Amino acid sequence: MLDAFISAAGYMLGNPMSFLLIIFSVIWGIMFGAVPGLTGIVGVALLIPFTFAFDPTQGMLLLGGVYVGSTFGGSISAILFNTPGSPEAACTSLDGYPMAKRGEAGKALGIALAASAVGGIFGTLVLMFAAPPLARLALEFGPAEYFALAVLGITAIASIGGGSLIKGLIAGLLGLAVALIGLDPLTGVARFTFGNMMLLTGVSFIAAIIGIFALAEVLQRFADGLHKAEAITEVSTKLPSWAEFIATKATLLRSSIIGTIIGALPGVGATTAAFISYSEAFRWSKRPELFGKGSAEGIAAPESGNNAAVGGSMIPLLALGIPGSATTAVMIGGLTIHGIVPGPMLMQNNSDLVYSVFIGMFLANVLMLVFGLRAARLFALVLKAPYPLVGPAIVVLCMTGVFALNNNVSDVAVMLVFGGVGFLLKSLGLPVASFIIGLVLGPIAEVSLRQGLILADYDFVAMATRPIAGTLLLLSVLSLAYGVWGQLRRRPPQDPPNPQAEPERA
Amino acid sequence: MEINVLKALGSAVVTTSVVLTAVAAQAADYPARTVEVIHQYGPGGGTDRFIRAIAEPMQEATGQSFVPISITGGNGVPAYVSFLQRPANGYTLVSLSPDDVINAALGRIDLSQVMPLVRIQYDQGLLLVSKDSALKSLDDLLDAEKANPGGIKVGVTGSAGFDDALIGLFNEKAGTELATVPFGAAEMVSNTLGGHVDMMYEEYGPTRGLIESGDLVPILLFSDERLPELPDVPTAKESGYDVTLGRWRGFGIKPDTDAAEIETLVSLFRDASANEGYKKIEADSALQYRSEFQGPDEFKAFIDEEIATYTEIMKQLGY
Repeated sequence: MLDAFISAAGYMLGNPMSFLLIIFSVIWGIMFGAVPGLTGIVGVALLIPFTFAFDPTQGMLLLGGVYVGSTFGGSISAILFNTPGSPEAACTSLDGYPMAKRGEAGKALGIALAASAVGGIFGTLVLMFAAPPLARLALEFGPAEYFALAVLGITAIASIGGGSLIKGLIAGLLGLAVALIGLDPLTGVARFTFGNMMLLTGVSFIAAIIGIFALAEVLQRFADGLHKAEAITEVSTKLPSWAEFIATKATLLRSSIIGTIIGALPGVGATTAAFISYSEAFRWSKRPELFGKGSAEGIAAPESGNNAAVGGSMIPLLALGIPGSATTAVMIGGLTIHGIVPGPMLMQNNSDLVYSVFIGMFLANVLMLVFGLRAARLFALVLKAPYPLVGPAIVVLCMTGVFALNNNVSDVAVMLVFGGVGFLLKSLGLPVASFIIGLVLGPIAEVSLRQGLILADYDFVAMATRPIAGTLLLLSVLSLAYGVWGQLRRRPPQDPPNPQAEPERA
Repeated sequence: MEINVLKALGSAVVTTSVVLTAVAAQAADYPARTVEVIHQYGPGGGTDRFIRAIAEPMQEATGQSFVPISITGGNGVPAYVSFLQRPANGYTLVSLSPDDVINAALGRIDLSQVMPLVRIQYDQGLLLVSKDSALKSLDDLLDAEKANPGGIKVGVTGSAGFDDALIGLFNEKAGTELATVPFGAAEMVSNTLGGHVDMMYEEYGPTRGLIESGDLVPILLFSDERLPELPDVPTAKESGYDVTLGRWRGFGIKPDTDAAEIETLVSLFRDASANEGYKKIEADSALQYRSEFQGPDEFKAFIDEEIATYTEIMKQLGY
């Protein structure tokens, strides 16, 4: 392995162009991540024709750097404008924007950046040193395990809003219901599309989150009136102090591990990783009441989780030739165009390529720290403009971005509708976090449950008692009980806690 | 003015069906900008890559780009509807495949609104098992089915699409009850390798790496003849089950597009499909054996046949 690293490093030093490509790709990635509607997938897909000009290794360095940069980039607009620039950053809005509104935009961006780098470097290290065994571990995950994992995330909906159990459940179940729209994934029958052909795709997740976060926020600001609107004044970016950073170390470690594992699972990627990291951070937090109101852990968790998932999703790609995410699926296309056969032999037959990608992704994560700071400052300049100018500009940008995503006008309609939905949720005090978790994890839970049932000949017990699935489901039940108990405990004294829930403390 | 004369001349030549010297009939100033090719599959998938590969020589010839536009989901209906909404100016093409034919057979879309332009690739699929599977051959599969009918699960991609039709037809011919489980392309492979599903259906190209490493073992080929790349893998046909359906890839255009532009496109595609660089990409995925170039008339006749075939199959499958 050391030989391979030295040989790959030799290759990169012999081709200084490689370093230029990494720098370019990280900047390109951050930009694509930050602009709503332009996602990492688009950024990677657009660069594929350019890789023809280089050899396959340099091409992969280019694509890997974009992937790293774009996963962080989304958090910039999520924090500054409540506009997740890419789906994996949706979760970052939940706490990043409230912190920015408090006047601590710089700190929020700093936490996001530092957490992204920690998660990214963690994921890359695991990729470097444990790709083949972890790829084999990922193969142990069948539909039953995906289902259990999704359930574990979904159990957070009841408590995550910080408010009432009932409101959390209502919002979460609404999210699950919206996730049902579209073609039935197993039988191909249209559900709740009301004859609209374009809705067969289902509600586009990106269009929905941009509506719920960005558009709803603009509506809210205008509804509040301009005088009431808090101005985000501090726009400088600084990394969090060492003490602040250390305070989130448990969250960073947990989220990095979760992110790497989820990234390594084919079909689920950085977005799922961000949400499960977030709900676990909430569950284990000493101060869960701060979540949704600008908690540092609430920013660190999704950002370290989604960036760890980048390294994670490269694991099955490089070890088995199976893409771990939508972006790596595009990369596989890029590889085969160069005549490289992705598969288990890749690490042996093209070890220079594989190990160069390892080194390149590591460098990209470090460079992200440098350019992330600069990019965030650049974007933050927009905040100096008065909101009556910025608000409409955000709406226009979101609409063009959402359209460009899939060249689909009905996505714009979906975004507008969900702007209204987001506004309503807020007005009714229903937690947006629960709604989005239902929307993200619902489809995974549904499809994998049904696949798992077919495979188990419709024997749910057989499906739920598989070792990994059973453990995850048991954890879900325990954490649900723990969450309910926590809520009851926090109630005011005139409302005595339910004695039955006490034993769950263990 | 000159342009109109040329176009008119072009149409005249086509309509009177004079033997074409293709150059004379072509629109001189076409394409003047990027041509977009709408398809229903993900970026980086087989069709996306195919479009990029065939576009390369066409770009060299014309100086204009041919870019794939991926509109995924909804079993391809949204992609097709988006295509229909575009103007008939020769700058939007749509990819055509058995999935579109099945959509037409099921009444989801109306294929008479598209003019088949060219068919380029014709693939062949395999049943593949994990190297740890107890099923090592077609006979093992048939024995296991006899012992426990409906017990074998086959991972496929898409819901009520091409893969389901093919497995359904095989069930019909072989008297088996293989059950299909739809997955995303990546999860289908990981679930097969992980032993969660008994086998999977996929083409040679995407599975080549795992076949060469020995992780996936092909046990049955759906084609007329064995593949030289996999000489030991029997065809369903030689085993007595006449299932040779394969995924083909071609393009369609709006029927009222300028005839000279259509002629230009056809000859561009014909040249590109014979291009050496493109041929090599085809050979990487063992696509050269059944891929025979078809122009508009042959392709139209072929699609009409396919619609009849799939309408029959889907009816038998109870859709």
